[in-house]
Amino acid sequence: MNKNRATEEERTRALKPTKKPEVMERQRLPVRYHVEDYDVADRPRRFLEAFAVILRHSNYRFALEHFIRMSAKCSRCSVQCQVYLASGDLKDIPCYRSELLLGVYRRHFTMGGMLKGRVLGDSGLTDEMIEEMAESFWNCTACRRCSIECPAGIDHGLITHLGRYILSEIGIAPRALVVSVREQLEGKTGNTSAIPVPALLDTLEFLQDDMRETKGVEIEFPLDVEGCDYVFFPAVSDYLMEADTLMGIAAVFAATGDSWTTGTGYFDGINYGLFYSDRMLERIVKKVHAEAERLKGKNILIGECGHASRSAKYFVPTYCGGEKALPVINIMEYTYGALTEGRFRLDPNIVTEKVAYHDPCNIARQGWIIDQPREILKAFCKNYVEMEPHGENNICCGGGGGTVSIDEIRPYRTTIAGKVKAEQIRGSGCKYLVAPCANCKKQLRELVEDQKIDCEVVGLHDLIYKAIILENKN
Amino acid sequence: MQTLLELAQGPLFRLTFAIMALGLLRIFILDIWGAIEAYRKAGDKNIPWKQAIKKTLGWLFPVRKAFGSRPVYSLLSILFHTGLILVPIFLFAHVELWKSGTGLGWITLPKSWADYLTLSTIIFGLALFFGRIAVRAASFLSRKQDYLWPLILIVPFITGYICAHAGVTPAGYRFYMLIHILSAELIFVLLPFTKIAHCVLMPLSQLVATLAWRFPPDTDEPVAISLNKKGVPV
Ligand code: SF4
Ligand code: SF4
Repeated sequence: MNKNRATEEERTRALKPTKKPEVMERQRLPVRYHVEDYDVADRPRRFLEAFAVILRHSNYRFALEHFIRMSAKCSRCSVQCQVYLASGDLKDIPCYRSELLLGVYRRHFTMGGMLKGRVLGDSGLTDEMIEEMAESFWNCTACRRCSIECPAGIDHGLITHLGRYILSEIGIAPRALVVSVREQLEGKTGNTSAIPVPALLDTLEFLQDDMRETKGVEIEFPLDVEGCDYVFFPAVSDYLMEADTLMGIAAVFAATGDSWTTGTGYFDGINYGLFYSDRMLERIVKKVHAEAERLKGKNILIGECGHASRSAKYFVPTYCGGEKALPVINIMEYTYGALTEGRFRLDPNIVTEKVAYHDPCNIARQGWIIDQPREILKAFCKNYVEMEPHGENNICCGGGGGTVSIDEIRPYRTTIAGKVKAEQIRGSGCKYLVAPCANCKKQLRELVEDQKIDCEVVGLHDLIYKAIILENKN
Repeated sequence: MQTLLELAQGPLFRLTFAIMALGLLRIFILDIWGAIEAYRKAGDKNIPWKQAIKKTLGWLFPVRKAFGSRPVYSLLSILFHTGLILVPIFLFAHVELWKSGTGLGWITLPKSWADYLTLSTIIFGLALFFGRIAVRAASFLSRKQDYLWPLILIVPFITGYICAHAGVTPAGYRFYMLIHILSAELIFVLLPFTKIAHCVLMPLSQLVATLAWRFPPDTDEPVAISLNKKGVPV
């Protein structure tokens, strides 16, 4: 029996509807995630309208044209998808999922398709097809592992991304994501965790006290300092949940003495727009850049968060002036640079347990940051083990593409989407699983809990914080 | 039969070949044109060329891919494609024909190689066909034409092999030759309009996939306006 395949019992649990029947009836949407009420009338027409508008104002068309000519249906990608490996459901084959949207494109936006539709009397997009897409695009974690294996270069992550964008324009997007983005863009606090500035100040003060007590040194979290080298944006949830990660980062800066700051105007790296709407993606990216500019910072520094890093790294240049935009770096790049320059030291006798590193898709899939965190870990963890496959080829935690924040689909995430990862973690026998990504951390913690794996999920800087040697300057 | 053969070898060949050449050229140009447009509109013009080229070469000469996730399938596919590409272009008889028609010639495959490659193309084409039926994921994805293609593609190889080898009667020879040519011409015509267009689009794939993530800036506003959502809360 394939140990990656979910058992019948797991499948039943994972796929159980979480919504009330009357809600499903009203919304005509048999999916597991919650959606705010939307206009259900005339969905196919509105879907096509949104599709057309998006095509007109974007760059997707040329890629779709290419993909529909190339699609070889070879099923090669199926071997790579952790969702399909676990579910065994043929509808989870990446190529099948992509075809849901490519088929609509072919039928409604190409000459041949329109002619064929006319001749064969095929009426085209139906309500059922929209329902299937709404289900399918949120079963995919948009991890893009499958695209490595597609000879035709079809990027299923991109197609899922586009499909979600179109659906969201007709009102179909997980409420969990929409509500966060709404607070971030239009709410009083301006961030996804709804942390007001006074609460942020309290938290930072608390962290400073904690560091003074445990490490015996004064470490500062600078605020609103102008002209710094680095303006810092963690996933804002870190302020609530990842104290050790933040203290580790502050400790590294304390050791190097470089100038960094958090801006009280905007301090959230999270960008859930990346997962469902390019319009939101753009608006959020612009907020990050504007805050860094307001503070006259030289670099945008993103904390331990995969999608936050990716949305800044690849979309700050996109939306904020190309080469003129501020450079974006991830904290792991900074820390690695500082360590290799010998600007701080790590005690090799602190972390002796087995440590493994999980590559967040958003950081590793394109080969952006793979070796640096490993080098850092190997520099002080005696017992580093590697999971296979890893790096560019890593297996997604199962909560990618924003699905991690949709709490109502937790059973799906931890029994199907994360099943292969769970086996991988179990196999490695690690005690600490390092996951430098806010989303991965949340998902992996739920995963090891639900799958009963004896292992603690931590951030890279959590371990650095344990082992960093700080000189008491006072 | 003789007239049919002459028709197939002469005008029909020129016509179908022209359809193929122009058709492929058209989609190739459209693809590049699309990519250039996308690049022009992209907010981020920093393209990792090296990475894209490396990946492209990786798929054009998939030596390493062969030992990856689906070794058997990959190997079959590679061997199938090798014959499919090499034999029609480098077969001695084909090159001779070109030479007599256009004066252009090029290197040719040694006869024994050509034979092996022809046979392997037939065998591996059939294997791919049966593989598609047998593998659950593949058969689920497949449309009718996906099954048909390997079969259509090996017809000219089978008939060509028969003409070159079996001691058929002259009438038989002409018959197989006719099928050989007509099937090749059918393929010519279908090429630009089906997934086999990947024969010319393949080198662009990785670039397209990379470029596709380079979005144009400032689309929030126009999209919102077009969808009547300007100023509408998130
Ligand atoms: S992006 Fe990831 S989850 Fe989605 S189809 Fe591809 S491998 Fe599967
Ligand atoms: S949450 Fe992490 S592992 Fe999961 S998709 Fe994102 S980056 Fe990948």
